[in-house]
Amino acid sequence: MSALDDLLHARTGPMTSELVLHPGQFGLGRVPARLAPAGTAKSICGFCSTGCSLNIHLNAAGEAINLTPNREYPVNLGMACPKGWEALTPLAASDRVTTPLLRDANGVLQPVDWARALTVFCERMKGVQSKYGKAAVAALSTGQIVTEEMALLGALTKFGMGIADLDSNTRQCMATSHVAYKQSFGFDAPPFTYADFEESDVLVFVGANPCIAHPIMWQRVMRNQRNPAIIVIDPRRTETAMAATLHLPAYPKSDLTLLYGIARELLARDALDHAFIEQNTTGFTAFREFVQDFAPERVLSETGLSRADYMRTIDLIARPGARVSYWWTMGVNQSHQATRTAQALINLALMTGQFGRPGTGANSITGQCNAMGSRLFGNASSLLGGYDFANAAHRTHVAGILGVEESLIPTQPSRAYDRILDSVDTGEIRALWIIATNTAHSWINQGKFSQLRDKLDFLVVQDMYATTETAQQADLVLPAAGWGEKDGFFINSERRLGAARKVARAPGVALSDFAIFKLVAEAWGCGAMFEQWSSPAAAFQILKKLSSGQPCDFSGIRDHDHIELSGGIQWPFSEADATKSGTPVIERRLFADGKFFTPDQRARFHFDAPVPLPEPPDEAYPLLLNTGRGSSAQWHTGSRTNKSAVLLKLSPNQPWIELNPTDASKCRVEAGQRVTVRSRRGETTAIVVVTPIVQPGQVFMPMHFAEVNVLTFPAYDPHSRQPAYKACAVQVVP
Amino acid sequence: MVSPNKNPTLALIDELLAEQSRLQTPVARFAATHFDTHHSTLSSQLIPLSKPKPGEQYAFEVDLDSCTGCKACVSACHALNGLDENESWRDVGLVSGGTRSAPYQQTITTACHHCADPGCLNGCPVLAYEKDPVTGIVRHLDDQCIGCQYCVLKCPYDVPKYNERLGIVRKCDMCQQRLGVGEAPACVQACPTQAISIVTVTTYVDGQLKPDTSHFLPGAPDASITRPVTRYLTERPAPANALAADNSMLRPQPAHWPLAIMLTLLPLAVGAQLGALSVSNNLKYADNATGDLTLFGVVAGALGLAASVVHLGKPLRAWRIFLGWRKSWLSREAMIFGGWFGLAALAVIRREALPLAAATGIIGLFCSVMIYVDTHRRLWRFAQTAPRFLGSALILGAALVFAFRFETKVSVIVLGALTAVKLMCDLRLLRPLEWVEEETPVTQENYAARLLTGPLRTLFGLRIAAALFTAIILPFLVTAGKLPPVASWFVFGSVLLGELVERHLFFRAVDAPKMPGTSQ
Repeated sequence: MSALDDLLHARTGPMTSELVLHPGQFGLGRVPARLAPAGTAKSICGFCSTGCSLNIHLNAAGEAINLTPNREYPVNLGMACPKGWEALTPLAASDRVTTPLLRDANGVLQPVDWARALTVFCERMKGVQSKYGKAAVAALSTGQIVTEEMALLGALTKFGMGIADLDSNTRQCMATSHVAYKQSFGFDAPPFTYADFEESDVLVFVGANPCIAHPIMWQRVMRNQRNPAIIVIDPRRTETAMAATLHLPAYPKSDLTLLYGIARELLARDALDHAFIEQNTTGFTAFREFVQDFAPERVLSETGLSRADYMRTIDLIARPGARVSYWWTMGVNQSHQATRTAQALINLALMTGQFGRPGTGANSITGQCNAMGSRLFGNASSLLGGYDFANAAHRTHVAGILGVEESLIPTQPSRAYDRILDSVDTGEIRALWIIATNTAHSWINQGKFSQLRDKLDFLVVQDMYATTETAQQADLVLPAAGWGEKDGFFINSERRLGAARKVARAPGVALSDFAIFKLVAEAWGCGAMFEQWSSPAAAFQILKKLSSGQPCDFSGIRDHDHIELSGGIQWPFSEADATKSGTPVIERRLFADGKFFTPDQRARFHFDAPVPLPEPPDEAYPLLLNTGRGSSAQWHTGSRTNKSAVLLKLSPNQPWIELNPTDASKCRVEAGQRVTVRSRRGETTAIVVVTPIVQPGQVFMPMHFAEVNVLTFPAYDPHSRQPAYKACAVQVVP
Repeated sequence: MVSPNKNPTLALIDELLAEQSRLQTPVARFAATHFDTHHSTLSSQLIPLSKPKPGEQYAFEVDLDSCTGCKACVSACHALNGLDENESWRDVGLVSGGTRSAPYQQTITTACHHCADPGCLNGCPVLAYEKDPVTGIVRHLDDQCIGCQYCVLKCPYDVPKYNERLGIVRKCDMCQQRLGVGEAPACVQACPTQAISIVTVTTYVDGQLKPDTSHFLPGAPDASITRPVTRYLTERPAPANALAADNSMLRPQPAHWPLAIMLTLLPLAVGAQLGALSVSNNLKYADNATGDLTLFGVVAGALGLAASVVHLGKPLRAWRIFLGWRKSWLSREAMIFGGWFGLAALAVIRREALPLAAATGIIGLFCSVMIYVDTHRRLWRFAQTAPRFLGSALILGAALVFAFRFETKVSVIVLGALTAVKLMCDLRLLRPLEWVEEETPVTQENYAARLLTGPLRTLFGLRIAAALFTAIILPFLVTAGKLPPVASWFVFGSVLLGELVERHLFFRAVDAPKMPGTSQ
C-alpha cells in the first residue's frame, strides 16, 4: 500500500529538494540547503546611513552566496530593509562595466585596457589644465564609497592634481545638516545615538518618513516602552504620519514659521530650561525678541494647521520632565531655507535643554551610507578631518600628518555642486570627473546638465555600471568595484564607524575606487605623495591621526577588525578613551556636560525671517510639486536597486504622481491615467494616483525616476547650497 | 611581483588587479572573528509554544497598526527560502482613502492564508496539495505538480505562482521546516516591527468546519469561499471609501492559448458529432455525411486534447490526473474526455457508438464549464460559461454541416440564431457599465466590462463585428446564391476563428481576485 502511495504521491524528488532547509550554523537559523554557508563575514550595508550590519554567507572560496541581517549588531538587531536583504544582487547585474570604456571617433564607448585609460585620463585632464588653468578640472564625488576612498580622492584631487573644486552628492542630501550643526555647535556633530528613539517621551519628526526611508530606525521607535507621543510634521499623510500620535500637515516649507511659532509659545508658557540657556548658549535674547512675530494667528494661517493640533503639539512638547527629541531628514534639508529650519529645531532643543540626556536631541537622520564620512573626510567644504582650509595652522597640521607640501593645500574650500555646474556653463570648468553618482538623473532641473555636457571637453565617469544616465554621456568610463567588493569603513547617522568587507570579486578588470585613485596618482606622476596610502587598512591609520584631537577623534580604534568586534564604534573614541576604558560603550550621545564645540563651548541660536517659496503655484502652474522617496525598495536613481527583480516587485516601475481627489477632478484626470506633468523647465508623463494623503493643491512624485528632475526648480539654501527639490509649481494635464 | 624593467604604472595595475581578485576564505575569517551561537529569543515570542490541538491550526496574524510598509518580509522570504530571482511568497498591498482632514493609507502584508477549505487543494487534479493534519499548513508537493495552474485560478488571493523554469507552481508553506524546529518563518523573523506572528486558531467546532473568518481583511475577496484563517488586527478601521491602491489598474489576464485552443476544438469535436447525429437520419447523404463529420470530430478532438497537454508545465506527470476526481472538475473533465476520445474513435468504425460518444462529449463539456464556474469568478459564472462552451459546440457543428453543404438551410438558421444568442451573452457583459458614472471604483461586477471596453476593446469590437458578418450575413449570402458554394468553407474557418477569439477574451477579460493593492 505504501509503495502504491509513494508512486501516486511524489512527496520527495528534485523539485522538493530545491527548497529543503538546513541548519545554517554560525549562529544562523535554517538556510536553504543549496546555499549552506562555509562561513560568514560581517559587513555594514552600503545603501543608507542607518548602518545595518549584514551577515554575509560565504562559500568555501570566500565568495558571498546569501546574507542575513546580523542579530548581534546594536544598530539593526537582526533586521534589514528590503534593500539590505538584496544588497548582493546588484553586484551580479548583467550591465556591470568590466573594462574601461573610451568613446571612439564614432561616438561609441569601446573597451580599452587600464594603461590606455590612464594615459587618456592624464593627457586630457592635463591638457585642459595647461590650456585653461588647473581649476578648469573639477570632480563630483559621492556619499556611497568608503571613507578611505573619499579621503584618498580628496587628497589626490586637491594636493596631487591641483583641483580646486571637488564636491559630492552629499550636497544633495546632507549639506544642510552639516552647516546647521557647524554653525550651531561649532562642529558637524549629530548628538544622538539610536537608543534615543527608544528613550524619548515625545518624538518630533520633521520632513522625515522613517517607516519607508529608514525602516530600521522606525524599528527602534517601535521598541520604545515609554508610550511616546509621536508628532509628524509633513505635508503628506505618509506611512509615518499614519503611525503617529499627531500629524501636522503643514503647508510645504511653512515648517520654519511653525517652529518659530512653537518657540514663541514655549516662551509664553515659560517651558524653558533657563539654567541650560544661561550656561551653555549664546544669542537667546535676540532669538526671544525675534520669535515674538510668530503669534498663533500668523502660524495657523501660513501653515494651514488647526488650532487644536497646534496647541496639542505645544502641550506635548512643554510637558514638564518629558524627554523630547527632534528628528529631521530631507523635508528639512532640501529647502530654500533649509539651514535655518534645521536650526529652528536645534533652537527648540537648546531653549528646553533637551541635550545630552537619553531620549533628547536635535537629530539629523542622515541619507547615504557614508554621508557622515564624506562630511568629515571628503576634503571638499572642510579640510580632511573636519579642519578649515582657511586656517593656516590647520593646513600645517594636516600637511604634517600626510607628508605633503603645505603649499599644495588650498586656502579655501571647494565651491558647491551648483557653482561647479555654473562654472561649466560659463566655460570656466572644462573637464569633470564624476565618481559613483548619477548627476544626469539626480541633479535639480536636470535638463540643464545635458546642455552642460556639450560644454565639457572631457567627462570621466567612474561607476559600477556604464548604463547610468551619466555614464552614458561620458568620454571615458572607469569600471569600479562596488560595495561588497572592497574593504573600508562607513560612518552612520549616529556617528558609528562600521566596517564594510570584501566578499565578492569585481567583474572583469573593475577595481575598487581606492585602487583606481592609486593608479591615477601613479599615472599622473604624484604617486609618491600617496605612498603611505598603500591599502584601505593603511589609509585608516592616516585618518585616525587626522581625527586625533578633533571632536570626531577616533584614534582609540585599532583597525577595521576592532570596529567589527566592538559592534561598531561611535566617535569620539580617542586614544585616551581607549586607554581609560578599553572597550567603547555601545550607545553614546554628545553634550552630556552641556559643552559644545565652539571656542566658548556655547551653542549658538541662529535664525532668520522665513522667505517665501521661490516658485509658488499660480494660475498657469497651480499645483505645488513635492518629491521624495517612493518606497523602501528604491534607492536614489535606481542604478543598483533596479537590478534586483525582488526590489522591482516592491514599487511601481514607472513614475507616478499623487493627486488629491479634488485636484484630480479639477484637472479632469482619473486614477491610472497617464498624464503630462509640466513645469516651466520641462515636462514629463506619469501615472495618476488619486489619494487624499496629499493635500489639495499639492502633488507628489517619487524621486527615483529620471523624469522627475526635469521639473524641479533650481533654488538653493543660501548657507548650505543644498537644492530645494521639494517645492516647485507644476500643471497636470490629461 | 613587480618586474624591475616594467613601467611602474603597469606594474601597479597588475598588482592592484591581483589584489582585487583575492578573497579572504571563511577559514581565515573564522580565525579572525568570533560569532555568537546563542539564538535570538525573538523567534519564540512570535510563534506558538505548542502544536495545535485537534480542531485547531496555525495561522498568520498581522498587526496592521505595526505594518508600515518596509516590505522586508518580501525580501526575507525570497532570501531565506532560496527562491528564484523574482520569486517571493509574500506581498505587500496598499489601501488608501479617507477625507481631507483624515486621510488614510494602510500597507498590508499578505501571504498564503492556509485556508480551512483551500481552493487550490480542492481544485488540484493530481492531489499536489496537502493540508497538514496537525498544523493545518497547506503544503504544495512540488514533485507531484503537473503545472496545470488550475490552483492559480482557484485561489481567490492570487497565492500560488507559476514558475516558468520548473514548470510547476510554488507557494508559501509557512516555513514549516522552520516551525518544526521552533524557528519563526522567514517573514516573521524579518519584520522590524514584529507585525507578523504565528498563532493557533480554531477551525472545527463540534466536528464541524467553522473557522472564524471575522478577523480577515475587510475589502479582501470573499472569505466564505475558501475560509482563509489569517487574522488582521487593527485599532484604526479603514474608512468606508478605502480602496485598493491598484483598483484602477485593469490587468488583462494571461491568454492561456493552449486552453483557448482546446476549449474551441473540443466543442468543435462534440459539435461535429452532434452534426453527424443530426444528418444521420437523412437518407439522402446519411452515410457519407455521418462518416465525414464523425471523422472530423475525432481529428478535432485529438488536436484539442493535444493542446491541453501543451498547456501543462510537466506533462509527463499527468498520468496521475485521475487522482483528484472526488473534488476536482479538472480531474473529472480529463477522465471524461479521455473516455470520450475512445468512444469517438470507435464511432468512426462503429456508427452505433456515435450517440454515446456525443452524450459523453456533452458531459465532458459540462465538466469544462464547471472548471471555470468553480473558480467563483464573475465572468466565469454558469450563466456565462455554459452558453459559451455549449453554444460553441452547436455553432461550430452547424458551421461544419453548412461547410459540408449537407443541411444548408437548417444549418444557416441554427448558426445565425445561436451566434445571435452568444453575442447577446457577450453584450450582456457590458451591462454593469450602464449605471457606471465617472470615477466609480472598479469592482468584480464591472471588471470584465471595463477590460472589454478598455485595453481589450479592439479585439472585442472585431469579435462582435466578425461574428455578425461571418456567422449571420455571409452564410445568408451563400445560401441565397450570391456567393459560390466554396465560400461555405470560408464561413466555417471564420466562425472557428471567431470562437477562438471569443475564448481568448474569455481568459483575458476575467476578473482575477487578489489581495488589495498588491500590484505595482
